[in-house]
This record gives sequence, structure tokens and C-alpha cells, in this order.
Amino acid sequence: MADKTKIGTEFPPYTFEVEKGKIAEFAMAISQKESKDQVKPIYWNAAAAKAAGYGDIVPSPTFQTCFALWGGGGLMPMLQSLGINLVRLLHGEEEYEYLNPIHPGDIMTGQSKVVSMYDKEKKDKPGKLMEFTVLETEIKNQRGELVIRARTTLVER
Amino acid sequence: MTKAITYNNINVGDAMPAFTSDPVTRTHMVRYAGASGDFNPLHHDETFVKIFGMPLVISHGMLIMGITGRAITEWIDDKYIRKFGVRFSGMTEPVDLHDFENTKQRATITVTGKVVEKFEEAGEKRIRCEIQAADGLGAVKITGTFVAALP
Repeated sequence: MADKTKIGTEFPPYTFEVEKGKIAEFAMAISQKESKDQVKPIYWNAAAAKAAGYGDIVPSPTFQTCFALWGGGGLMPMLQSLGINLVRLLHGEEEYEYLNPIHPGDIMTGQSKVVSMYDKEKKDKPGKLMEFTVLETEIKNQRGELVIRARTTLVER
Repeated sequence: MTKAITYNNINVGDAMPAFTSDPVTRTHMVRYAGASGDFNPLHHDETFVKIFGMPLVISHGMLIMGITGRAITEWIDDKYIRKFGVRFSGMTEPVDLHDFENTKQRATITVTGKVVEKFEEAGEKRIRCEIQAADGLGAVKITGTFVAALP
């Protein structure tokens, strides 16, 4: 059961250096492709990205999920510190706001905080509760610009 | 090249072109695990999921969100996307290669959507679209919205 006294908890920041190979690898994974020349060139070819109106290579829309997973030692220690039961855990919602572009060589810093925790009665089982924990993460680049604001809703069913 | 989408030539009610994924395989899920760093064994180790009485590994929800994002950015350029949010409503089991024909539909994701609003915000002309990702049997995996700023 999530520990509701943890509302407002801020987790330590994590950093992740954006590498061009990782951007291409991620684009291939979400595109179900085995080589980079099968995905959009803006994800791996700087000249093509510039010709398409980008400053440089850019990542695909959900790439930032790897910042916490590869840069932050994973989500598990965070969830455990909140008392969340991993066996009952579901990823309920994920939301991104894109404020500035990301390019290879950028050093991203992410920091998450618990913005709310609440219960809802299960529709099919009156009296039984589902527990919700909402995390907000701000991801900034090496210039201190806010690049992405993310909101993650976790559910213990 | 299809005709470029602009704020003036798109209307509320217009459909986004339907996008259909390849049937998701365990290899796709392993590739996504490596790319994202999400090595929860729920997504690749059938000896692990059996402990919880589950017959099969299930896809990362974020892989299905990634496929949904790809569907969007095949239609509207990445640089125009301002917001993208989803609610996960169902799990996805991968195709079984020894029984491909009978299991491919549960692993094939079709993304559809439509424009629900045109508005101005932050000095930009923006559209809001509702989107849905469902498998070939009609089971919904994701519902969500995205906002794009258009020229």
C-alpha cells in the first residue's frame, strides 16, 4: 500500500547524456525495425534533420522514458521508497509536454516529485480500493531550459 | 509526399490516417527493453510471469505508447508535437511464432484518431486530437490525446 505521507516527496535528480546511437536505437525499437535506415532520417541523420527544419537529429516522442531508466538507476528504488506494492502495480497514464527540442550531446537532468496520492473504489468490487500515485518530472537541459514536463500515474490495483 | 498539413486545411472531425503495426514479437519487446532500459522480467521472462499465474509475457505499455507516437509522427512532423498523453487500458500479449495465424491479431496494434479542437495557445495555432490504439480483436490498449502546433 502506497504511503500517503509521501505526497510532496522529491526524488534526487538524475542525469542522462543524449547519444545519437541511443536515439536511433530507440526509434528502431518503437518502429519495430532492425536497422536505422528503415526509420525516419531525422532520428539518425543530421543533414536530413537539418533539411527537414530541425537544429540537429531529434529523438522520437517517448524517448525520454530512458532518461530515468538508464540515467536514474531505474524506477524501482523510487517506487519502493513510496511503499508501492510492485506486484499490484500498473502504469495507468503517461503524459508529456514538449517545451524545447532535444539533440545529441545534450545533458538532461530529470527530477521527479510525488504530486498526489489518492484512492478510488473499484467499479466491479464495491468497497475495494485502487490506489493512485501521480509523479511529475521536470527534465531540463545543460542550459537549464525546461525541455519536457512529464506526468506519470501509477495504479495499485 | 502527401500534402503538408496546415492549420487552415485541417478541420474538427478530420480523421488521422489509420496506422497498423507489425504483430508485436518477443524480439520487439527485448529490443524495446534494451532501448528504454526497462528490464522488468514481466516483459521477457516467461518463467517469471508464471510465478504470478500469467501464461505469457506482456508488452511494455510504453512500447505501445511508442508505437502510438510513431503513428502520430507519420502524420504530423515531430517538431509540431506539443503534448502527448495516454491512459493505458489493456495489456498486450505478443504473437506466438509457432501459432502465428491464430495469435497475430492480439499483437497487432492499430492507431486511429481524429481532430477534436482547433484553438490558439501560447501564440500558436494548435489542434487537439483524440487517439486510440487497439488490437486486431478490437481490445483497446490506449486512449489519449495529443496537441500539435501547425503552420
